[in-house]
Amino acid sequence: MRPAHLLAGLRVALEGRGHASDYARLLLASLGAELAPQRDDDGDGDGDGDANEHPALGWRRSGLMALTGRAARAPQMCPLPLTSCADGALAALAALGPGLHVEAGSGAALLGVRARIAGLTRQGAVSPGGTCHLLACRDGHIAVNLARPDDWTMVPAWLEADCNGDWDAIAPWVSTMPAAQLIERARLLGLAVALSAPSTPAPWLEVAVPCTPASPRKAVGTASGPLVIDLSSLWAGPLCGQLLRQLGAAVIKIESQARPDGARNGPAAFFDLLNAGKASVQLDLASPAGRAQLARLMDQADIVIEASRPRALRQMGIDAEAWLTARAGRSWVSITGHGRAEPQAGWIGFGDDAGVGAGLSELMYRVTGEQLICGDAIGDPLTGLHAALAAWASWRSGGGHLLALSLASVLRHCASFAQPASDDLLRDRHARWTRVAKSRRALAPARLPFAPVGAARPLGADTAAVFSAWLRRAA
Amino acid sequence: MKTLKAGTRLKSAACDTEVMVIRTRPEPVLLCCGGIEMIAMDGQKAGEPDAAFANGTLVGKRYVDEGDTTELLCTKGGKGSLAIDGTPLAVKEAKALPSSD
Repeated sequence: MRPAHLLAGLRVALEGRGHASDYARLLLASLGAELAPQRDDDGDGDGDGDANEHPALGWRRSGLMALTGRAARAPQMCPLPLTSCADGALAALAALGPGLHVEAGSGAALLGVRARIAGLTRQGAVSPGGTCHLLACRDGHIAVNLARPDDWTMVPAWLEADCNGDWDAIAPWVSTMPAAQLIERARLLGLAVALSAPSTPAPWLEVAVPCTPASPRKAVGTASGPLVIDLSSLWAGPLCGQLLRQLGAAVIKIESQARPDGARNGPAAFFDLLNAGKASVQLDLASPAGRAQLARLMDQADIVIEASRPRALRQMGIDAEAWLTARAGRSWVSITGHGRAEPQAGWIGFGDDAGVGAGLSELMYRVTGEQLICGDAIGDPLTGLHAALAAWASWRSGGGHLLALSLASVLRHCASFAQPASDDLLRDRHARWTRVAKSRRALAPARLPFAPVGAARPLGADTAAVFSAWLRRAA
Repeated sequence: MKTLKAGTRLKSAACDTEVMVIRTRPEPVLLCCGGIEMIAMDGQKAGEPDAAFANGTLVGKRYVDEGDTTELLCTKGGKGSLAIDGTPLAVKEAKALPSSD
């Protein structure tokens, strides 16, 4: 089912000239909102209208420029308005309810925030985080993201070679093998590997299994906001939950005892930014008792956010479709690497490799002649912003939707937005935007859409309180 | 008995199970699924799972032997259960999440 009906009947006035406002209107229109007529812009299609930040300045100011390019060389411009997509997704979300700070560049600021906090920088064909490498294979380039330490134990099986250990040992083996074989074997093994290939457009959202919605809801204040269960980890899902919290939702972050959110081991300021203000519940999801507790909490929830492969949840006895049909008015946000359909449902994806798979590195190669990773896990924050928009639109319209977003499809949607029609135009824009970015001396980052509100709750700090509240409700 | 090699794919002769060898020991082993020795991917099915080895396999799970010397990834689930030299393999816990990606 197309997402077009989610905001049907809603009239939105979204002023502003340039790519960010255009992208916001595109998203809202794709959800079925009726847009109030716009004044004509200056027609050059370059996003340099007075309301939006120029995408080239956005790229630099957000920090993504410093994160793209080879370490010893000048930072690189991406000739796609990706920061405008972030600003636009935020503006579209803010059009649905109060609670978010929106200024030029505040959506884009989210794209660079992790690297700013962690002090990451550009490394050419290696992601700023260091776990994703662009490698030459026999017939092209692939992105390989060995983000989990355990991934390294799979490498000998992936390459059928005794080369466990480091990237230098992997590269020669990969160079002799065709991409199709490397990717097929990586998918079998659950490794995040993507082909660097030209981008093709995709819808940013798929709405599946719609149930009968309850009546549309008005913009909500904190008292009447939805209860969100956030089962996700890392960046995209937690960002979605934090944005919903700013809009008035109460959010319970649930983590498994055996497998807590890995971001707890990263920079605390980043984990706090995404998770402060959420209640923290820890459950033993390996045990039947823990799963029963999870089911009880999910029974109370209006919105679920998860970023697991569908089969992982099925194996735990969690079924999105059944949860949606059990009570009217619910919304389920599914964030995957590559989608919920088979066979993509079984594929792993992280933010950097998904960016390569969506064509960003191939595009950078066309304009610079170099193999480069674009930004820092860029698929994560972009998907988190889009997921929050889908969730809030669904909630406002009365719920009853399985909202499926993937890093791959969101990135392909963004990459195809305002993309020049030819390589000549692309190179011309790259040169112009590089000049625009260099035309300013110092650029302080824009304010984030939400202010950090202190420390995130320690793991499981609210487990007892959440369950006693549940018992009171059930009594 | 077969000497396994990292990266080798095998399928069950008794059910739908398919595995890939993640790591192994140098000695030959008797790797069975459903009580029958596992076969090459183009081999022919040879029966049904033995009731003693019919607890099933789950796609995406990793299975290890008692001494933690051999690890298999289930790439397709089935009705039989995996065993090496007659001893059933155990499910290994899911990978810890990364601190960043």
